This record gives sequence, C-alpha cells and structure tokens, in this order.
Amino acid sequence: MKKIIVLLFALMTTIVHADTITILNNGKAGGSFNARSTMYNDALTLKGYKVKWENIGKISQAVKVFETATEPTMMVYSTNQSNKRGLFNNKDNFVLLEYEQPMHICTRNESIGKSGTITVAHGKGYDPSVLQTLLGKNIVLVPYKNSGAILKGMLGGDVDVMVNNQGKSLKYAASGKGTCTVSERLPMMHATVIAKNVDLAKLRLALKDIVLNDPLFVQYHSTRQLEVINLPREMELEIVQGSEKAWK
Amino acid sequence: MEFSTSIYIKIVVKYVMEQLFAVVIGLLAGVVTGVLPGAGVTVAMIVATPLLLEFDVIQLLLFYMSLASMVQFTGTIPAVYLGIPGETNSLPAVIEGTKFNRRNNGKLAIGISALGSVFGSMIAVLLTVSIVGLLASQISFFFSNNIKFYLYIFVIIFCLYVYNKNNILINAGLCLIGFTLSLPGENNLDTEPRYTFGFEDMQYGIPLISILIGFLVVPTLYRMYTDNYTRQVAKDSSTSFKKVLIYYFRKCLPSSLRGSIIGYICGFVPGVSTVLSTNTSYSTEKHLHPNSPAKMLVASETANNSGQFASMLPLLLIGIPITGSEVVLYSLLVDAGWSPYQFDNVVNNVDMIFKQIVPWFVFANVVGLIVAWPMAKHVLKILNFSKIFVVVILGILMLLLNTYLGLQDYRVIFYTACLIVFGCIGILLKKYETVPLIFMFILGNDIEAVFLRQLIT
Repeated sequence: MKKIIVLLFALMTTIVHADTITILNNGKAGGSFNARSTMYNDALTLKGYKVKWENIGKISQAVKVFETATEPTMMVYSTNQSNKRGLFNNKDNFVLLEYEQPMHICTRNESIGKSGTITVAHGKGYDPSVLQTLLGKNIVLVPYKNSGAILKGMLGGDVDVMVNNQGKSLKYAASGKGTCTVSERLPMMHATVIAKNVDLAKLRLALKDIVLNDPLFVQYHSTRQLEVINLPREMELEIVQGSEKAWK
Repeated sequence: MEFSTSIYIKIVVKYVMEQLFAVVIGLLAGVVTGVLPGAGVTVAMIVATPLLLEFDVIQLLLFYMSLASMVQFTGTIPAVYLGIPGETNSLPAVIEGTKFNRRNNGKLAIGISALGSVFGSMIAVLLTVSIVGLLASQISFFFSNNIKFYLYIFVIIFCLYVYNKNNILINAGLCLIGFTLSLPGENNLDTEPRYTFGFEDMQYGIPLISILIGFLVVPTLYRMYTDNYTRQVAKDSSTSFKKVLIYYFRKCLPSSLRGSIIGYICGFVPGVSTVLSTNTSYSTEKHLHPNSPAKMLVASETANNSGQFASMLPLLLIGIPITGSEVVLYSLLVDAGWSPYQFDNVVNNVDMIFKQIVPWFVFANVVGLIVAWPMAKHVLKILNFSKIFVVVILGILMLLLNTYLGLQDYRVIFYTACLIVFGCIGILLKKYETVPLIFMFILGNDIEAVFLRQLIT
C-alpha cells in the first residue's frame, strides 16, 4: 500500500512539475525571439500550463540563466546562435525544430552590374572571413547591429548588397528598390526550442500542437514564408546539429 | 457576430484604458515635477522607471508627452506666485509673472499663461500637420548612415556648446566620460563583449539606471536640499475667468501666435530646445513690447509648449533624441521594441502621431489648463512638504529602484557598486550639468557604429 501511495505521489509530483514551466524571454520586443517566446507563453497558458515569464531580453544572459536553471525551463533558440553562445542543441535539451529559413542576398537596383568594389551589409555576428570566402575578395564589409539595422542601411543607400534573413529580405524586395535571391552557399537558419528539467517528450507534444495549429503561429510562419518542419525528433535533431556545424 | 463585436469592444476599451493610465500617471508626475524646484522631466522618468518598463511604445510616448506638457503648465505657478523657476524654462515667467504678483494680480498672470500654453500646443499640432506629410514621404532619406553621421555631429556640437555656460572643455570632458562608460560589454559592431576586465557582470555593460541615478538624480537631490526658497504666497485679487479670457484675446493673441511659431522652430534645436524657444520668444517680445509684461509672459509660455511638441518630432520620425529627457525616453522605447527606421513603421509613425498621440496631447492640455489655472493655488500645496522629507523619500526610492532593476538583471551587487561609485562622482559633479555625459553614454554605441561605417563606406 505504502509503495502505491509513494508511486501515486511521485506521479502527481511529476505531473505538477511538468505543468509548471519557466519561459526565458531572450529577445527584445520587436524581434523574432521575443515574438516567439510571447506566443509560446500565451499558447501554453491556454493549454493549462502554469507559465512563469522571465523577461531577460538578452540572449547572452538568457543562455547563462538557462544553463544554471534548476526548475523546468524552456527558451526559443536558433542554430546561428549556438557557436557564438557555446550552447548547442542536444538530445538532453532539444524539444523541437520549429522552422527553417534560408539567408538571402539582396542587391540595390542601382548596384546591379556594378564593377569595382562592392559594399556588403551584414549582421555583427557574421564572420567577415566567411563572407569574403563566399562573396569574393572584391567586397567591403559593413557591419550592422541586427537584421533591422541592415535593412535600414540598405534602404538608405549605404551599401550595394545586404546579407539578411528571409523576413527582412522580403520586406526589401517589396519596396521595389532592389532584388533578393536565396543564398545557396550561406547556411540555413533553424529555429528551435530547448528546455531542461522537464519531460521533453510531453513538452514536445504540446509545442508541436501549438506550432502546427495555433492561429498566431500559423500566421507568423505564413507571413514570413517560413518553412515549418514536422519530422520525428531524432531526424529534426540531426538537421539542427548539421546546421550548427555549417554555421561554425 | 455579437460575440466578436463584444470582444472587439472589450479590446478597444482595454486599450484606451491602458493609454489613459499612462496619460494620468504622466500628468500626475508632471504636476509634482513642475512645482518642485530642481526636479525635471528626466528625474521624473527615472523615478517612474519600474512602471515604464512595463509600458508598451505608445504608453511610453503618452506618458512622456503628458509629463512634459504638464511640467510646462505647472512650472509657471511657483514662478509667478513665489518667484521660483519650477522648471528650467520658467525664468521669463519669474521675471514678468512676479510683476503681476506684486500688484496682487497673480491669478491674471496664471490665467493668461495657461491659455497661451494651450494655444501654443494647438498651433504646434497644426504646424506639424502641414509638414509631417512631406517629412514622411522623404523618410528613407534619413535612413542613410551619412545623414545620421551629420545629425550626430550636429548633436555633439550642441552638447559641447550649450551646457555648463558654454564651457566647451567641461562639456567635452563629460562627453568623453559618457562615451568611455558606454564602451564595456556588448556593442553594436561585434558579438564579443569588450573591456570586461575579467568581470562577468561587465559583459552586459554598465547599467544605465546606476548612471542616471549617480550622475543626474544625486546632484539634483543635492541641489534640492541646498536651495533656499520662500513659501509665502502673496494675496490675490479676485479675477474672474471672463476677465482673463477677454484680457487674453484682446491683448495677448498676436504675441501668442508669434511665440507659437518662434517656439516651434526653436524646439527643433538639439540640447536647448524649449529653453531656446522660451528665451528667444521672450527676447523678441521684449524688443517689440518692452513695457508689456503680459505680452512677454504669454509669448514665452506659448513658445514653451509649442517647442515641447516640436522637440518630440525628430525622435518620433527619425529616431534622433535632441534633449536629455528624450535620450532616456529613447532607451526605454528601444527596450520596448520601437524602431522609427523599421520600413513598415514609416507610415505607422505618422499615423501614430496623429491618431494616438495628438488626441491625448489635446486632452493633456485641457487638464493642464485646469490644473494650472483654477487649481493653481492648490497645486502649490505640494511645496508644503518638508524639503528634507522629499529628498529622503526620493533617495530611498532611488536605492530601491537600483536594487530592483539589479535583481531583474541578475547583477544586483554590480548595480549597487556602480551606484555607490557614480553617486560619489555625481556629488563631485554637482555644480555641472551632466546631460552631455548621459547623451554620450546612451548614444555612444550607436555613434561609434555610425562613425565606423562612415569611415568604411
């Protein structure tokens, strides 16, 4: 009888534990990390989870908090951050692969066919030597803080070419001031969710349902033309780890 | 259908209530800040930081706009009745307003000032309507690094010239300190944190709040404590509202119009903004009507409010803060996810100004009129609080604020250490205006990136 009670207690504790989760918001308002974290927060709350919202706002600090967390904790992540932050998707923290998006190379109308040195806007996280290998030696690299700042610079006419994510590139193409093409040489960016101190399988089930069916997520993915991935966990992890290597 | 309509109404009501909350808090803060000598819009924003961190972009703008507008209204009250400049632009009100007060006519001075302030605000809105369409259509011009480079140079030159009695050396020193403090930690050009000197907490940079409290609030509290001012309010003759209205429309309307236009243009000048608006308008009126205190008073007060609205436009439209308090607002706006340069926000910025900001701006002015005119003497009761009491309460609030934000940022010991160090330096710098330091600290990273890109391209 005692064993049964202990077992029941353990089971109940596990259930209560699994239904309580801390979401580390690692992005600033207006950015994709923040938007995704907010949507997961709302959707998990609707599913009956007791969500604790930690508004950190900085990815570097969020990684530190995640690594030292002792409570059930999750955060959105992406493969272009792994090498910079030293935190990788692995079998012990990987929950799901949400979507993938290619990097784009956009050129201003005035700069098409331009000879001589070409100025290229890129995010501060990019390795200049890699970009030079991919885009040629005859370029001048101009660093910007983030994808939004790159777009501004491009619209302001600072540079001839920009390397940017899909969302900002689509906006630029829509302005009619230039054209964008998907880069086949730059690595694909994969958006993931990682967690610790939780039942990963159960959380994955809940989050997959949210990603595939929540109207806000569906709209988020469709407006940005993001390719949502839905494969078995092992296959998703394999893709993600391959992407991390490519970014390295 | 009914269900969705009721949900829609609930959402709209919630949205309006959130905006009203921001406006009311801003107005209340404005009443206190305008009356307390030495306290300013920047200090009020720092005190309200925990609340402001929860605000969205619109709420932040509404709070700031209400606060700044109300300060212009209530700053006149102690200036006229007690001869104390409640806020930095109230000097003409002190000189001309006290002339009315000596003749027991303070109520008339307060009334025409309040009416002039509302008039100035409305003229500023009309002027903005006429130019904002043109600005918005050419907005991508301001996206260029080149333009931003020259705008920053313009702002830095003004920082060097306008503060600390035009002492360029002092201002340059303060700019250098601010820029140096902005260097450690993450920056706009590289993912690797720099100048951390082995301290893990330095990875995320020096905390803004400790800088603001140390270099702005501590010297302000010190000045509030040491300033001596009288609290005796002179007796006032009864002046009816009708008399004030007739007096204003018969004698002061042209001066008000001149003040509005001069104030609006001067409002765009970085660093000095409303101070320049008020004083230029005052000087012009003094030249035109040297023997009319009413016209001089109304012109300067009108210019004050007109300039206040104009000074917000560079920030709202192209993202360049031009006053000390706007720099603090800018950092809060960026944290709330605002970017005036975002391509899809260009039209939204103009839309936001006219659909969301202007109606509340009009509302704030109506409240300002009521508070600064019929309720003027009640507002002065704020000064009945003991000076030491106000200073101690503000000091404790600042300590709690620094600790709270330190805990939120997982760096409470570092925040405390920074506050102690900067507070001590702040006391040493009490004689100086530290706005150039704050400017360079907040904008340092962006200025560095803009200058570097200018060199590369």
